[in-house]
Amino acid sequence: MTILDGAIYLCAATAALATLLMLFQRNPVKAAMLMLTALLATAGIYLALSAQLLAALQVILYAGAIMTLFIIALTVTPQAWRDRPAPGRVARILGLAAAAVLLTELLKVSTALKTAAALPGFSETGTLGIARELFGRFAFQFELMSLVILASIVGAVALASKRRSAQ
Amino acid sequence: MNSYSLAAIAFTLFSIAAAGFLTCGSLVRMLMFLELMLNAANIALVGLGHNAASQAYAAMLLAVAAAEAGVGLALIIMLASAFKTLEPENIKELKG
Repeated sequence: MTILDGAIYLCAATAALATLLMLFQRNPVKAAMLMLTALLATAGIYLALSAQLLAALQVILYAGAIMTLFIIALTVTPQAWRDRPAPGRVARILGLAAAAVLLTELLKVSTALKTAAALPGFSETGTLGIARELFGRFAFQFELMSLVILASIVGAVALASKRRSAQ
Repeated sequence: MNSYSLAAIAFTLFSIAAAGFLTCGSLVRMLMFLELMLNAANIALVGLGHNAASQAYAAMLLAVAAAEAGVGLALIIMLASAFKTLEPENIKELKG
């Protein structure tokens, strides 16, 4: 096992532990901080997989922008802070069982990957290659993505203005 | 490290997040777990692809996640002001 494998396993264990602790955390801001830990650990996994650009994007976009959005949403919705009774035991057991079945099935399906070739080692950043793909082969999809983001901006602004006029 | 271990890591993270999504009782928390599920899918994409194309897809998926979080949180804030609650079982206007 190389040092990169060790780094991947360590980051994956951190992310899994943070997500598990989120399940049992009642305080929403502490849950958000645990989510931040999981997202930063994911950035570590990307770095070990020699996806340096994605690691930087993960920190800037997920850990920066999306986490800020969540914290602001928690601040403006006082309902999120109210102590609420834990969900029913049956619902909780059913949810955990469904997730366990999902995991078993996914692992069963992916046993074919056991015979796949081993991953290549650490390599130089492929930012130029990613840019060639984004603006060459996937140019249409990339432009379509801007439409998706525009639609989401328009949707969010429409929802917010509706709320203001309703008050 | 082979592809199977990476797939197992991504699937485990996805399943834990799915368990959280199914068992938590608040809309904001559900959206958080949804983001973590998308994150796990991204790890699978980057880990199993290991070429420039899969990383380009993952970059586009990051943009989708940002758009989804923006619209989702706008919806949640609107629901919170309309129903005065963030628990999905208490929002039952459409329930017959």
